[in-house]
Amino acid sequence: MKLARDLRILLPFMVLIAIWWGIKDGAGVSDRLLAAPPAVWNAFVWLVTHGVLAEYASTSLQMIGFAALLSFAIGVPLGFAVGTNRYAARALEGTLRYLQGISGIAWLPLAILWFGFTHTTTLVIVIYTLIVPIVFNTMTGVRAIPENYVLALRSLGASRLRIVIDVYLPGSLPSIVVGLRLGMGYGWRALIAAEMLVRQGGLGDLIFGARTFNQIDRIMVGMIVIGVLYIIVDRLLVQPIESMTLARWGVLRR
Amino acid sequence: MPSGKISVSGFRHFFPTEGGPVQATGVIDLAIREGEFVTLVGPSGCGKTTLLKAIAGFITPSEGTILCDGKRVTAPGRERGVVFQELAILPWRTVRRNIAHGLEIARVPRVERERTVERLIGLMGLNGFEDRYPHELSGGMRQRVAVARTWAADPEIILMDEPFSAVDAMTRLTLQEELGRLCATTRKTVFFITHSVEEAVFLADRVLVMTKRPGTIKAVLDVPRHDHGGRDWDSFTADPEMRNIEEQVMHLVHAERVAG
Repeated sequence: MKLARDLRILLPFMVLIAIWWGIKDGAGVSDRLLAAPPAVWNAFVWLVTHGVLAEYASTSLQMIGFAALLSFAIGVPLGFAVGTNRYAARALEGTLRYLQGISGIAWLPLAILWFGFTHTTTLVIVIYTLIVPIVFNTMTGVRAIPENYVLALRSLGASRLRIVIDVYLPGSLPSIVVGLRLGMGYGWRALIAAEMLVRQGGLGDLIFGARTFNQIDRIMVGMIVIGVLYIIVDRLLVQPIESMTLARWGVLRR
Repeated sequence: MPSGKISVSGFRHFFPTEGGPVQATGVIDLAIREGEFVTLVGPSGCGKTTLLKAIAGFITPSEGTILCDGKRVTAPGRERGVVFQELAILPWRTVRRNIAHGLEIARVPRVERERTVERLIGLMGLNGFEDRYPHELSGGMRQRVAVARTWAADPEIILMDEPFSAVDAMTRLTLQEELGRLCATTRKTVFFITHSVEEAVFLADRVLVMTKRPGTIKAVLDVPRHDHGGRDWDSFTADPEMRNIEEQVMHLVHAERVAG
């Protein structure tokens, strides 16, 4: 049964590879434009055995991991502060929406001027990208909590801290996880883009560097790895938290 | 100044809106004695909930004062429990942990806490549902949990805002009888809001009737008790005295409806 399910997930990818191979060989596309699957596989093996892929991939993973932790640590309390204050929420909602329109990449020129071609620049861009959906979703999660939950606890003599721990935190958790999941998606893309410009390691650096030497096979290895790593992070880390909280508490809001 | 467990004097409330303040209630004076079950019935939007929220300490009155045991109400307090119409128990806590919540907050020792919770689970007929989450319960069950949570915290005063109005009619009858019994055994001071005349008379020692918005109290009717337990619907419906009071209240409420 599990095998059948795995096959269903893998099948579209096989089709995709078949189309790619078909176009490459059938239309006779030049090696300078597109590499065939075996060539990409060979490049993959070379990059793995020489430790190149591990080095570049670990840089990217460390960056996204660090950025996610920091964004979470700053974004959640910020979202709480704003979400529990009606006036602040109303004032900031527009600003946050506006900032979501200016992508992290658009901040790159300024960030490079301020911090140079460094990891700091990359981190600033990724954190900026990650933190906005986290703050936004934490805020909306907090605001969607029925007022009665809070009032009931206040009349049971609960302190402010107690209300945060017993009501706001569990009540907004599903929304926070959605924010984190979105943020990870946006952040991962921003990271790759920033790495291409900053050129201080990471998968973005790998594929952009490969372009200068026309290493099509390498570029394609990098792209595939970028996608695979994203799926792994999302499926293995973020999604389980989401289903855990939602399944246990049922439908939180009616 | 009126005396009592709760006394409201010169209360009047306005809500700020963009088009200027809107009057939510007229001037209200009332006193509730210790151990008394007072129901308040009135048309929707008359300011019933506003008054209850002010007594609970959730809102600060625009005018007038509210005293609880002679002390001015400025914030919610553990001595004033509140049961809401709906959406009050926490979806991420089991029945048991919802009921125990007030006791946890009051740092009641575990053994005593469990004893109290067990007793209320029995009283409210929640046996077998202790470890369920609210989304697995019916609306009636959820309200039982809400009532049990408030009682478990053992407040002196209980404020109830249409607690059974979102429950189906059959369950409501049972819940009303159970509440009557619970109150008779625990001698709480209860202030109960409803838009059902029948419910108001059935539960009350005293019924207050409110006018339409901005509401004031237009009539007070005593409902005599001949027994010391809670009432039951069979004898209540068979009692001509009760039917008579119900009819009087109905007339008073109806007048507000027609006038509206």
